[in-house]
Amino acid sequence: MIEAYLIHLLILVCIYLILAISLQLTIGFTGLLNLGHIGFFAIGAYTSALLSLAGFPFWIAILAAGILTLIFGFLLSLPLARLKGDYLALASLGFAFVVYAILLNWTDLTRGPLGLPGIPKPEIFGFVFSENLAFLLLALAIAAISFFVIHRIASSPFGKVLEAIRDDELAARVLGKNAFRMKAYSFGISAFFAGIAGSLYAGYITFIDPSSFTLLQLIPVLAIVIIAGMTSFKGTVLATIILVLLPEPLRFIGFPSSVVGPARQIIYSLLLLAILVYRPKGFFGKVELK
Amino acid sequence: MSDIFIQLLLNGLIAGALYALVAAGFSIIYSTCRFFHFAHGSTVAVSAYFLYFLYAVLGLNFWVSILLTLAFSALFGWFLNRIAYAPLHRRKASSLILLVASFGLLIFFESLILLLFGADVKTIGFIKVEKGLEIAGAIITPLQIVIILAALALLLALFYFMKKTSLGKALRAVSDNKEVAEIVGISSKKMFLAAFVIGSMLAGVAGMLAGLEQNLEPSMGTNLIIKGFTGAIVGGVYSVPGAILGSVVLGLAENFGIWFLPSGFKDAIAFTLLFAFLLFKPEGILGIRKEVQK
Repeated sequence: MIEAYLIHLLILVCIYLILAISLQLTIGFTGLLNLGHIGFFAIGAYTSALLSLAGFPFWIAILAAGILTLIFGFLLSLPLARLKGDYLALASLGFAFVVYAILLNWTDLTRGPLGLPGIPKPEIFGFVFSENLAFLLLALAIAAISFFVIHRIASSPFGKVLEAIRDDELAARVLGKNAFRMKAYSFGISAFFAGIAGSLYAGYITFIDPSSFTLLQLIPVLAIVIIAGMTSFKGTVLATIILVLLPEPLRFIGFPSSVVGPARQIIYSLLLLAILVYRPKGFFGKVELK
Repeated sequence: MSDIFIQLLLNGLIAGALYALVAAGFSIIYSTCRFFHFAHGSTVAVSAYFLYFLYAVLGLNFWVSILLTLAFSALFGWFLNRIAYAPLHRRKASSLILLVASFGLLIFFESLILLLFGADVKTIGFIKVEKGLEIAGAIITPLQIVIILAALALLLALFYFMKKTSLGKALRAVSDNKEVAEIVGISSKKMFLAAFVIGSMLAGVAGMLAGLEQNLEPSMGTNLIIKGFTGAIVGGVYSVPGAILGSVVLGLAENFGIWFLPSGFKDAIAFTLLFAFLLFKPEGILGIRKEVQK
């Protein structure tokens, strides 16, 4: 019993880790306060769910989810990259709302508020990841790959250019770096992994509806990035584990789930506020949001 | 056909009046303090629930409850500024940090309301039977007339206040140029506080009217602030008249939009408008083009 519960939590850690690490790429490394991440997560989850329900194999569904969100991220960045910091944040937030409104209202495709039930569990080469332990291995593998790919990108010359743009965009452009294009790549890659996380989420929960992709769901991911500190990979892993596990004792005390839900959000938002006030660079961060 | 037109026009104006109250406060705070105070939505929701608590739970007199709620909303704005924003301002945090903080506050209070009052819809229940009046073939309830008139009166008073009184002038001075305003002896700290108190009272009125007109839900603040700031961006967030104009445009666009689209798309219309303005005309209809794009 306790094992199954731990496995469940670890799977959530993996999904949140992919989301948070990919958000680090835009917020931390490129310095763009991207609040639309949950929109990419949603697009990934729905793409993957719809393809799986239509009978496509998992590897096609997850890749399609990633590629579609990559395209969305890239396209979104084209107009966004011109905006100043807080306007960019608002516009990306607006994007997440548009995605939510479309999911809720395009009932022919998404069944609206009824959601999509019965999403098949992932199947690769005839092996079905229906057991949670097997699913955990899959989630761990995908999270590890995502982690290393983003780590590799961030420490590559391309990653250094992103950081240069964050610290001094004008200087980077003087050196001949195309800041717009770099931001677009950063957005696209970040969105790609959010889509992958969404696909994994849909395959694990097997039911998605628009309510899983609201503003409330963004708070834990944003809190992880801010608490970890911008650009810190070690911090992101630690913060993800801590933030996913932190509200869990509430369940053991025996609060009903109608209390646990809001209490989780309260814990996350209080942590976020406390960090912003007392430790604005997070625990391992080197830079502050500008 | 023309009946529908007038009905949609009225509905648009009613929605626009509520959005305008939210947007005006949001815009005063933005233009003075230079950051997006998302938690303005919390002030709206918390005020509505406070009125519900005083009137429907404790059973106080309605008008006493209204006055207490108004005082409470001002106090709440002061409190938000005091506990979260003032410490951040003190260590010169960027406007992005303040934005994230206000986002955190919004979620915190929405969850707190959910925890205290539950997810079910509450009604204040002051107006028992709402019999609509007929104006040129369209139906409008007395409360809706009150909403439009109250918004109009408050916003006119706000205009007068900003243009004629010395506090209003000081607020605009800080919004124009903080450094110069400080040199001539206007304390920007005090003006931040004044902006928060005035803006929050407007939000309190919006919350009470919205609570009476619709029902109370924990997410009402988030919904209204999204509409309010969309209105502010559409009209021009630096100017209060712009924010009001934008809100009315938004209310009308939403209501006329459902002539062509299913009514579920109301929110999508608002977000699309927000998005379009942020991308193509981020300074808004009336706004001045400054500090928006690099």
